[in-house]
Amino acid sequence: MPEQALTKQLRSGFPAETSVLGVAVTPWSYNPSSWSQRIPICLLALVGFLVATYMGLFQWKLIDEVWDPIFGKQTAAVLTSTVAEWMHGVFGVPDAAFGALAYLGDAIFGLAGSTRRWQYRPWLVILFGIDVIPLGIVSAILVLCQAFIVGEWCFLCLVTAVISLVLVKMAYDEVLSSLMFLHRIWKKTRSASAVWKATWGWPAPGVKEAAAELVKEPA
Amino acid sequence: MWSRVVEVMLGCWLVVSPFVFRYADNATWLWGGTFATATVVILLALSSYWRPMRHAHLATFAVAAGMILVGRFLPADAPPLAYQNFIYVGVLLLMFSLVPNDASRPPRSWKEAPATSN
Repeated sequence: MPEQALTKQLRSGFPAETSVLGVAVTPWSYNPSSWSQRIPICLLALVGFLVATYMGLFQWKLIDEVWDPIFGKQTAAVLTSTVAEWMHGVFGVPDAAFGALAYLGDAIFGLAGSTRRWQYRPWLVILFGIDVIPLGIVSAILVLCQAFIVGEWCFLCLVTAVISLVLVKMAYDEVLSSLMFLHRIWKKTRSASAVWKATWGWPAPGVKEAAAELVKEPA
Repeated sequence: MWSRVVEVMLGCWLVVSPFVFRYADNATWLWGGTFATATVVILLALSSYWRPMRHAHLATFAVAAGMILVGRFLPADAPPLAYQNFIYVGVLLLMFSLVPNDASRPPRSWKEAPATSN
């Protein structure tokens, strides 16, 4: 195969068997879907899961006390407050346990997909983004609201809020790459059908060219 | 296929959960419903290994949504632990059911040349 054709094939990512998955994507100098990018997100999400589960165990009354090195008994007051009980009523499970599920979702959707999933499975990256970014920001705001409404502070709640915000920072690049990919397809084709197909992982007309334009070089 | 393995494990948890949460002996429909749900979850996950049924795991999404609705809305007051278990496992299954079988590899459509490809 001529070198130019081979390069075009590598950049477009089609066919996948003979292509390079680890490619740097504009505007980054790295591959946002690489394992080195995603594994730290999953590990941090698992830490968030463990911390939230610990607080959930207290809300389930499976443990009698909750550890807090700074605010002492205030954490227990926050976790048993009327706000927490109201959220328990809404979700059906304690809010901390529900938060734990969200962190686990970050890890699950962070682990799924190849190292070129921003192109091959945009739906998965967008789902991952929905779990990490809006839910992360909302959960951080809720934690802060709880602190201000209840008037007591919860050290572990603040830890999970910080974890949520760090996860947003770590995950946004991959989500942005997928959205830029879909936007580029729209600009090239003006076809909602092409964007729709590309979102679900089908290489419709114009999709390969859009990918090739975003790829910088094999990373 | 790791997500299918986790779905089978969650199905097994559903099988033991009536004993963990000490269902009442006369709660016949709850016992039956839990075992039936567990069976369906396990069968859907296992059948996803068979190529003609490779998308069967997507049906788990509907089962999971049903579990969440039952757990959340069937009890009159705050859901007791057995129902909270439905909600919790339901949300987990909801997420795992969306993960494709060969998630770590590119999808088939990007391996083969489809008719619409240019």
